[in-house]
Formats: sequence, C-alpha cells, structure tokens
Amino acid sequence: MAEIESDQLQRASLDETKVKNEDEEEEECILQFLDSLDAYLTLVDSLSSSLRQGWFDLASARQSMGHTRISSKLFDHKVHSASTTINITELDADNPSDPKPQFSLSKWATTKENPSSEVPNNSNLRHRAPTGVLEDDEKSNGTQVSSVVSNDIQKERSKSLTIFGGLVSPKLRTAQVSFETALDKIVEIANARSSMLSSFSQLQLNKKSSS
Amino acid sequence: MAGRAQIPTSNSALIAMIADEDTITGFLLAGVGNVDIRRKTNYLIVDNKTTVKQIEDTFKEFTNRDDIAIVLISQYVANMIRFLVDSYNKPVPAILEIPSKDHPYDPAHDSVLSRVKYLFSTESVASDRR
Repeated sequence: MAEIESDQLQRASLDETKVKNEDEEEEECILQFLDSLDAYLTLVDSLSSSLRQGWFDLASARQSMGHTRISSKLFDHKVHSASTTINITELDADNPSDPKPQFSLSKWATTKENPSSEVPNNSNLRHRAPTGVLEDDEKSNGTQVSSVVSNDIQKERSKSLTIFGGLVSPKLRTAQVSFETALDKIVEIANARSSMLSSFSQLQLNKKSSS
Repeated sequence: MAGRAQIPTSNSALIAMIADEDTITGFLLAGVGNVDIRRKTNYLIVDNKTTVKQIEDTFKEFTNRDDIAIVLISQYVANMIRFLVDSYNKPVPAILEIPSKDHPYDPAHDSVLSRVKYLFSTESVASDRR
C-alpha cells in the first residue's frame, strides 16, 4: 500500500516537473518571438534611414553628374556574376519540421583565386632567426594579405561605379556606402524574420498540442 | 506555416529585387547585380509602365529559383500583388518588404507581421475576458 502511494507521489512529482519544464520552454519561446519581433521592427526602421541617405546621395550625384549619366539605361546587361552574395546555412538541421535558415553576407567577392595563396607560406620552414623576427615576418605576411584583399575589394567597388563613367561624383561613392550599409541591415532583418517565424510556428505547435 | 522542405543551403546565393529605379541603382552599386547566361537579371525595375502581370510573373520566377536567397520588394509594389506575397510561405528565399522613396514602410501591410499579429489579438481577447 505504502509502495503504491509512493509510486503515485513519484509520478505526480514527475508530471509536475514535466509541466513546469513545458511552461518554461513556452515562456522562452514567447520571449524569443518578442525579441526577434522587436529586432525586426528596429532593423526595418534603421534600414529606412540608410535607404533615405542613399536616395539623397544618389539624387545629389544625379544633380552634379547629369540625369542621363545615372540612369537604368546604362546598366550592364553583359553576363556577369554578383560580387555581393548571400550564404545560407540551416541553424537546426536536426529539426526538419522547423526550418530556420541563417543568412550571412559575402561582400565584394572577387573572381580571382584567394590572394593568400599568392603569398608564400613559410610556416613549414625552420628559421634560425630569433622568434621576434619570425613573428614580424608572419605579421607582415598577414598585413600583405589584408592589403591585397582590400585592394581587390576597392577594385570591385570601382568596377560597380564605372557603369556610370570613369569620373563619378563623390556623392555616388557615398551612395554606394549607404546601400552597402543597407545590405548589412537587410541580412540582419532576414535573420530576425527567420527567428520570428520559427518561434511563432513553435508557439502554434505548443498551442495545438495543449488544446 | 514555413515549408517543411529542406532548406537549400548555399555559399553564393543572390539577392533579387523588385523595386523602383533608384533603389535598384543603389543596390547594383553595392554589387548585387547578376546577369546569367540566358541574359536574365536578378532585378525588375518597376515604373508606371510596368504591369501587375509582369510583377506577378517576376515574383513567381524569383521565388522558384534555387539560386536566390532573399527577394527585396518595395512595399508599394508588394501591395499590388498582396495576395501572392501573403500566400508565400517558404523559408527560402526570404521575402523582405522595403520602403521606397515615395512610400514609407507601413508595418500594418507587412506580410510577415500580419501573419503573426493574430497572436496578439488572441491574447488581447483573452485579457478582456478576465
């Protein structure tokens, strides 16, 4: 009799713990949903500011360069790949019923090979030089790589601007920067959207299972 | 809600755009323009001569392509094909409604927010009953 009672008590406490855990999970899900909703609205507002700045700079560039020099008729229709692309990864691949894509921006990727492969790699060679010199060599190699990469990025940026001619207004360059900033925000908005929809679908599932 | 198909992961997916000329110009400056071998672009410039059918066809084309991760659409353009945008429910490509020069962003029309807002209306009904 006592055993049956203790079994029943154990089951009751397990059930209570289970319900408590489910409640905590649901609350966490609600918090996640509200956080991503807040992030989404804040980022959209921030995006609006960046776009407004970009349109303003574009209008200024158009005024200084002339209306015909900044027009859709000058767009490049030859075959070419985008320099700025998106990487998609799946955040929770173990849960196929709740897809949650994660987006990241890859800006100004060049079609050349990785510039670091052009820099000689001396890591396998033994040096009798003092460690400080070796470290300086490694640092200067790192600096060389980053300067090569930033030169490539500048080339890609300039390539985008040359659609509108060789000499462009500085306002066009600032418009380019504004729209690049807008792209960063767009990717964050896409991730906030993904998080929001994922937690929303989880809440709906919880609601269905509880009713 | 979201599609149950596997998300196509990709290392170099595109951003597609359906917007006015200035917005497209700006994003092309940022390097997102792509023209493939069939001379198809990843953008559609919407002006007063663009028909609703063209916008619908482009939207359907962009949302069915495997190489597109995000579709940016000006909200005033999305309002022209609202039924199509609201009925879209795949996780990729993500559809993002953006403001345009002449039409500021209105959260009341955003398809994602209108999808989730009923959650709040249900909550407010429950609190009224108490």
